[in-house]
Amino acid sequence: MSVKGCQTNNGFVQSEDTPELELDPRSSVDNPQHQALSIGGPEEPNLQGVRPYAGMPKEVLFQFSGQARYRVPREILFWLTITTVVLLIGATVAIIAISPKCLDWWQAGPMYQIYPRSFRDSDKDGNGDLKGIQDKLDYITALNIKTIWITSFYKSSLKDFRHGVEDFQEIDPIFGTMEDFENLLAAIHDKGLKLIIDFIPNHTSDKHPWFEMSRTRTGKYSDYYIWRDCAHESGVTIPPNNWLSVYGNSSWHFDDVRKQCYYHQFLKEQPDLNFRNPDVQEEIKEIIQFWLLKGVDGFSFDAVKFLLEAKDLRDEIQVNKSQNPGTVTHYSELYHDFTTTQVGMHDLVRSFRQTMDRYSQEPGRYRFMGTEAYAESIDRTMMYYGLPFIQEADFPFNNYFTTLRSLSGNIVHEIITSWMENVPEGKWPNWMTGGPDSSRLPSRLGNQYVNTMNMLLFTLPGTPITYYGEEIGMQDISATNINESYDTSTLLSKSPMQWDNSSNAGFSEGNHTWLPTNSDYHTVNVDVQKTQPSSALKLYQDLSQLHANELLLNRGWFCLLSNDSHSVVYTRELDGIDRVFLVVLNFGDSTLLNLQEMNLGLPTKLRVRMSTDPASQRSEADTSGVSLEKGEGLILEYNTNNLLHRQTAFRDKCFISNRACYSSAFNILYSVC
Amino acid sequence: MGEETSLRKRKEDERSLQSNKPQTTDLQKEVGLFSGICIIVGTIIGSGIFISPKSVLSNTGTVGPCLIIWAACGVLATLGALCFAELGTMITKSGGEYPYLMEAFGPIPAYLFSWTSMMVMKPSSFAIICLSFSEYVCAAFYPGCQPPKVTIKCLAAAAILLITTVNALSVRLGSYVQNVFTVAKMVIVVIIIISGLVLLAQGNTKNFENAFAGTPPSVGGISLALYNGLWAYDGWNQLNYITEELRNPYRNLPLAIIIGIPLVTLCYILMNVSYFTVMTPTELLQSPAVAVTFGDRVLYPASWVVPLFVAFSTIGAANGTCFTAGRIIYVAGREGHMLKVLSYVSVRRLTPAPAIIFYGLIATIYIIPGDINTLVNYFSFATWLFYGMTIIGLVVMRFTKKNQERPIKVPIFIPILVILLSVFLVLAPIISKPTWEYLYCVLFILSGLIFYFLFVYSKFGWAQKISKPVTMYLQMLMEVVPPEKDLE
Repeated sequence: MSVKGCQTNNGFVQSEDTPELELDPRSSVDNPQHQALSIGGPEEPNLQGVRPYAGMPKEVLFQFSGQARYRVPREILFWLTITTVVLLIGATVAIIAISPKCLDWWQAGPMYQIYPRSFRDSDKDGNGDLKGIQDKLDYITALNIKTIWITSFYKSSLKDFRHGVEDFQEIDPIFGTMEDFENLLAAIHDKGLKLIIDFIPNHTSDKHPWFEMSRTRTGKYSDYYIWRDCAHESGVTIPPNNWLSVYGNSSWHFDDVRKQCYYHQFLKEQPDLNFRNPDVQEEIKEIIQFWLLKGVDGFSFDAVKFLLEAKDLRDEIQVNKSQNPGTVTHYSELYHDFTTTQVGMHDLVRSFRQTMDRYSQEPGRYRFMGTEAYAESIDRTMMYYGLPFIQEADFPFNNYFTTLRSLSGNIVHEIITSWMENVPEGKWPNWMTGGPDSSRLPSRLGNQYVNTMNMLLFTLPGTPITYYGEEIGMQDISATNINESYDTSTLLSKSPMQWDNSSNAGFSEGNHTWLPTNSDYHTVNVDVQKTQPSSALKLYQDLSQLHANELLLNRGWFCLLSNDSHSVVYTRELDGIDRVFLVVLNFGDSTLLNLQEMNLGLPTKLRVRMSTDPASQRSEADTSGVSLEKGEGLILEYNTNNLLHRQTAFRDKCFISNRACYSSAFNILYSVC
Repeated sequence: MGEETSLRKRKEDERSLQSNKPQTTDLQKEVGLFSGICIIVGTIIGSGIFISPKSVLSNTGTVGPCLIIWAACGVLATLGALCFAELGTMITKSGGEYPYLMEAFGPIPAYLFSWTSMMVMKPSSFAIICLSFSEYVCAAFYPGCQPPKVTIKCLAAAAILLITTVNALSVRLGSYVQNVFTVAKMVIVVIIIISGLVLLAQGNTKNFENAFAGTPPSVGGISLALYNGLWAYDGWNQLNYITEELRNPYRNLPLAIIIGIPLVTLCYILMNVSYFTVMTPTELLQSPAVAVTFGDRVLYPASWVVPLFVAFSTIGAANGTCFTAGRIIYVAGREGHMLKVLSYVSVRRLTPAPAIIFYGLIATIYIIPGDINTLVNYFSFATWLFYGMTIIGLVVMRFTKKNQERPIKVPIFIPILVILLSVFLVLAPIISKPTWEYLYCVLFILSGLIFYFLFVYSKFGWAQKISKPVTMYLQMLMEVVPPEKDLE
C-alpha cells in the first residue's frame, strides 16, 4: 500500500506547477551528481532523471536535499538560529548583570513638602485640608514632582498642629476625615506619585489616652512615659536634674494627678514617651504598620535624636561653667550629651526600618525612611544613613541650607563639601532650602536668590526637596499681622499658598484664613507666574524637567571645582556621554568669572543651557570672563571626552553615589566601568 | 561476504520499516482532548489576569458588578465558541475563520482575513506576548525602574526564535511544551484560588460586604467593561485553527470548547475573588502586578513562586498562539492565497515549518521598532470584524447549504446574539474615540486586494518565474513538500 501511495504521490503535483516544469530550463541542476545518487534507489525507477521542481513530492526531494549545497546551508541556518537564541539570552543576562541598581522613586525626582493647613482650603473654614491638596494634584504633577511630603496632620490639640499628637491613627478634623486621607492617597498613587508623611515618635500630647492612663498608673501604661519623683511644694517644683526643654526652662513638670514629675523635651503639653519600655516600642511599630497598610510610601521621622535619654539622669554640663546653675534656663546653655543621640537610639530607628522593610517587598512599593536631624553635627547626621551592613534611613534630611542666615560662595561650597565628603559610600544625598521650621529663603537671604537656589537644588547630586511656595518665591509674612497666640516666629513661613489674584490668594473662599496671606500675593502667585515666561515658576519647571531627563543630572558625577566669596562652580558628567554641564552660581555681588583659570581644558565658548534670568537670552558664555549678576546662575554645556573625574588633579573633588556609565550604542547604563 | 549481505539486509529492513509506516507527509492528528483543552485554556489565560486584571474593575468601580461582568463575558465567549464549534464540525478544516469565510462568502473575504491576520494580527500579538513575557522577566531585575529597552527586546527575540524553532521541529514537542506550561499556569491559578478561598473562609470578606454599594456603573462604563472583559477571553476559537490535527474532531472540538471556556470563566471569577480577599479595589487598580502583590501578601515567604509561574504562563500563551497561528498561513498557502511554499510540510518532522518560520520572522521584525502596542490597539477592531463576519457566514450557510451535515447545530438566536455583540465591539472603540488610524487599518486590510488580483487572481507569469526557483530552493533547504492527501 505504501508503495502504491508513493507512486500516487509522485503524480501529486499542483496543476499550475506541472506545465512549467519542463519549460523552465533554468530549474535544472547538474544532473550527473543526482543521477548517480538516484541510481542507488532501485525500487523507484520512474524517478530517474527527474529534476527538482517547485512543488515536488518527497521522493523527488529526497534525491537532492541530501546534497551538500542544500544540507550545509540548512545545518548552518539551524545552528545559527540556536546560536542566536543562546546569544540573545546571553546578551540579556549580561546586560542585566552589568546594570547598575536603578534609581528608586525617592531618588528619581524632587519631593514637595506641604504644610497641609496652608496649602489649599476646600471647605471655606480658613484652614487648608487634605481635600484641598487633592484638588491641586495637577499643579504638583506639572512641577514634575515625584514625592509629596505632607507634614503632621494627626489629631492634635496644639495650635501648631505639628507636635503633640492625641491620636496617631486619626486625622485631625480640621484637615478632614480618614476617608479624605484614603481618597487623597489613592489620587496621589493614580497620578504615579508617592506620599510620605511626618511621624513624631518621641512624644505625645498630654491629652493622649496613653498619658491619661499613665498618670493614673493604669496597667502597662503607667510606665509609658518618663516619670520621676520630685519635690513639689507650694507651687514650686524641684526637678530631678538640670535638664532643659528645647523651648527653655526645666524639662520636668509636676503632675498633680500622679504626684510625680514627667519629662518633656519640648512643651509641657508634650510628654516624652519612654522608649526603654518594650511596650512603647511595640505601640510605635503598630502605628507605623497602620499607615503602611493604608498604603503610605514612607515616613519622615521627626525629632528622633530625642528618643532616648540617659538612664541615670545625670546633670548635663553647662556651656559656660562659671554661670550660676540657677540661671541656666536656655536650651543653648547646656551641652545635651545625656538627652540627645543616646546609645541605642539608632537601634530604635533601625528597628523602625525593619518594620518598614517588611512592607517593601511588593513590586514598586519600597517604603522610604527619612529622618530629621535638626541642628546636628555632620558626623552625627551621617549616622542616620546606617552602617554598611545595617540599613537605617534612606537619608537624613539635609537642612543645612535651611538655617543659613547669610550667603556667599564659600558658605555654599562648605555646606556642599561637608555633605558630599561625609556621606557614606553608595548613599544618596538630598538638598532642601527651606521648611516649616525655618524662615523662608527670600526673607532670610534676599529675593534675588530664589532662582539660583532652585538651580542649585536641581543641579546638585541627589534628591531636591522643595517646601511649598519655594517654586514661586514666596516670602515670610510679617509678624505684626498674626493674631495667633502661639510662638509666632515659627508661623511666618507657614502662610497660605499663593495661588492667584483673588481674595485670600485663591487659598480659601472663606472670609478669613488662619494666617494672613502675604501682601505680595498679587505679583507672587502661581496664576501670574504661569503666564510669565521668565518667572520663578517657569524656571522651576524647566529645571525639574532637565533634572528628570538628563542622565548627567540624575546619575552623573559631581565635581566641585572652585569657590570664592562670590561664586560656586561645579560640573556634572557621566562616562559615555561626551557632554558636560558646568554650573556657575553667583551668591555674591556681580562679578566677572574667569573659568580658564581653573585649567579644565574648556573651549573658549560654552553654550548656555539654562539661565536664572531667561530674559537675558544669552546663548553663549565666554570662558575667559563670564559676567554674573548678584544671584545669577547658569547651566553651561560643552563637549569633551576628557572628563574631570578621570583626571588625578580633580579626583578628590568628584563624587558619585551609584556609579554608572552610559552606552549610547545600546542606550543602557552599566556599572562595570 | 556474510557481513555484506547482512548489511544489505539491514538496509532493506530499514527501508521496509520506513515504508511500512502508515504515515503520509501531512500534519498528523496528534492533538487529543486534553491537549485541545490545554490549548484553549493556555492561550486564553495569558498574562493579563495575573498582571493587570483591572480594565473591568476600573469601569465598574465596585466588586459586585465587576464579578458579574467577568461571568457575563465568559458566557458570551462560550456562545461565540459554540458557533465556532458548529462551523468547526461542519467544515473540518484548519485555519480558524479562513475556511468558514471561504465556504460562506468565497475567496475574497477569506483572503482578506488571512492577509490581515498573517501580516498584522497574529504576528503582532505573538510579538506582544513575547514582549510582555520579556518585560515581566526583566522587570524582576530592575526594582523601581523600567528595564532598558534593549534587554526586553533581546529576550523577546530569543523567546520568539525559541518557540518558533520548537514548533517547527515537532508538533508533538510543541504541544508537549504547551501542556507543560498550561499545567504550570493551572498550578499557579489553583494556588491563588485556593489561598483565596482559605482567606475567605477565615473571614477576609471585608471587600465583599456592600459589594454593590456606591454609585452603580453607567451604561457606558458597563459596555467598556464588557469590551475589555471579552478581550481577556480572546482566543476561544484557537482550536478551530488546528481542526485537521485534532483526533476525532467531531467529538473533541465541541467537547474541548464546552469544557475549556467555562473552566477559564470559573478561574477568572475565582481569581478575582481571591484578589479581593487581600486587596481593596483601589489597591488592585494601583498594583503594578496584581498576582505578585497577592503573592507577597499571602504566600510569603514562598511569594517567589508567583512571578516564576506567571512567566511560565506568558511563555505558554506565546507558544499557544504560535502553535495555532502558523496554521492560518499553512491553510492560506494551501489554497494558493499565499506563497505555496508556506503550506508545505516538513518531510522529516511533519510540521508546517515554512509557515511557522515565516510567522516567527514577521513577529521578530515587529519587535524591532519602538512600540507596537499602538498598532495592536488599532487593529483590535479587525479581530471582532472577522469574528462577526464568520458568524454571519454561519447564518448564511444555514440557508445556502441546508443539506450539509451539521454534527452540532446551535439555536439560531446564539449566532444572532454574537453578531450583535461583534457589531458593538467593532463600533464601540471607533465611536468612543474616532481617529484616522482606524481608517488606515481599513485601508491596509483592503490593500490586500491589490496583491490578490496581481498574484492570486491573474497569476502573472513573471511572478511565477520568480517564485518557482525560490520555492524549489526553499523546499530543498527546509525539506518540505506539499501535504499529501490522506488515502484512507
